[in-house]
Amino acid sequence: MKIATKLNVALRPACLAIAAFALALGPLALGLPALGQESTQSQSLPQVHLNADGLAPRPIEELTGTTIARYYALAWHEMAGALESGRTSALSDEFIGVAKERLTRRVNEQRQTGIHVRIVDHGHNLKAVFYSTDGAAMQLFDQAQLEIQTFDGDKLLDTQTVPHQYMILMTPGADRWYIRDLEEVEVSAKSF
Amino acid sequence: MQRTTLNYLAGYKVLAVCALLCVLPGLVAAADLQVPATVQAGQGFSISAEGSGQATFYLIGPDHVVKRTVNLGGDLQVQSSDVHAAGRYQIILCGSPCTSTSFEVKAAQPAHLSFFLHPSRVPVSTHDSIDATAFVFDQYFNLDLAAAAVDFRVTPASGAGFSRQVPARHGVSTIRMDSTQHEGPVHVTAALGKVEEARVVQQVAAEACGLRMKAFPGANNTIIVETDPVRDCSGNALPDGTVVSFTQVDKAGKSTVDTPIKKGIARAQLSVRGSAQITVACGVVLGNELALSGRL
Repeated sequence: MKIATKLNVALRPACLAIAAFALALGPLALGLPALGQESTQSQSLPQVHLNADGLAPRPIEELTGTTIARYYALAWHEMAGALESGRTSALSDEFIGVAKERLTRRVNEQRQTGIHVRIVDHGHNLKAVFYSTDGAAMQLFDQAQLEIQTFDGDKLLDTQTVPHQYMILMTPGADRWYIRDLEEVEVSAKSF
Repeated sequence: MQRTTLNYLAGYKVLAVCALLCVLPGLVAAADLQVPATVQAGQGFSISAEGSGQATFYLIGPDHVVKRTVNLGGDLQVQSSDVHAAGRYQIILCGSPCTSTSFEVKAAQPAHLSFFLHPSRVPVSTHDSIDATAFVFDQYFNLDLAAAAVDFRVTPASGAGFSRQVPARHGVSTIRMDSTQHEGPVHVTAALGKVEEARVVQQVAAEACGLRMKAFPGANNTIIVETDPVRDCSGNALPDGTVVSFTQVDKAGKSTVDTPIKKGIARAQLSVRGSAQITVACGVVLGNELALSGRL
């Protein structure tokens, strides 16, 4: 009896460790997000602030605004991951159509040439400028604070810290908003 | 002796300055990378890169990456196929050290209109009921942010058409229009230069107007109630299948018969005992009322 108790005491930390390990890895094996994974991801998403004042011809609903900001942040998170890793698998469904084709091509060509780009994302100020009456399309401008580092292999070629402005076309899907077009445009205060 | 040492040192300084001057042209070449500020999509151009020797040339665009070894001291060609996508491009020239610059590619001439017409069916004579939105793209599907104006041409099945020119804002042109008076297909065409895109909206009759019914005897102590041809206020016949409700109130209580319009009219058979009041309605529109006193 004493031996069994001693064994129990001795094994307890190991059992606890195994249980913790199983808790952490179990969901991964099932294809589910592991404990804390979602919160980690949301912590690493860039800050996106959406301004939809005076949006026409259709006003924006609060939930729509929240969804757009969330998926736009997710899109930048994924794009930064793909441009740095050279893996198109880092891109999920946040980009669609021409935007996805262009980004996929760039990531592939970066990988082929040995170039990778690191984006240090300091946040985005989104301004919605057009929302169609039927709710099928939205046009936005983004003033992004980015630090873009370009590498060839391990060699740092260039660092850019100038402000960037992007024009975005987004369309709604069943459960999210997709980026259909993302073009960097000349920085001007006109859109803001 | 001290003087000799000083002379030697002065000589080394001269040599060092000479060496620096020999190296400088390469550095200056890298610093003097001349690129146009803006380029039209699909138009190649050349960059002047002074200096001598070889360098690595990088072009990084929204959808394209180029890396190649180039000889300094001449023009570097950027092919038209390298600049299809609109956006900001980065050029890096790495001799020793690297120098970089950027330029913007803007959309080429309009070549596509992405045209949305909403809704697909609309009642006639309704204010601000048709939305037309056109996105202006070039041949590479870059949104043309500088597009001037889109011409919206409306051609109804009958009656006079009209057109409106709507300035584009950030490559998007949108207009809200009233539906015309007559039912039938209405062709709406968005046009910009030689680019045209057409859509069709089906105009259908609006709510019924002047709804009237009459009654006549049917078989086995029943009556038949039948509407006149059901039309809207513009004279358009309501489509078959539109539901008309006949409501009968008598001693037994209230009963309603819903019947679809067939060949322009709605008809129902009612069983009436004693006096009764019969009303007719179509949607939110009420028609006339009949008071029956046991017989017609």
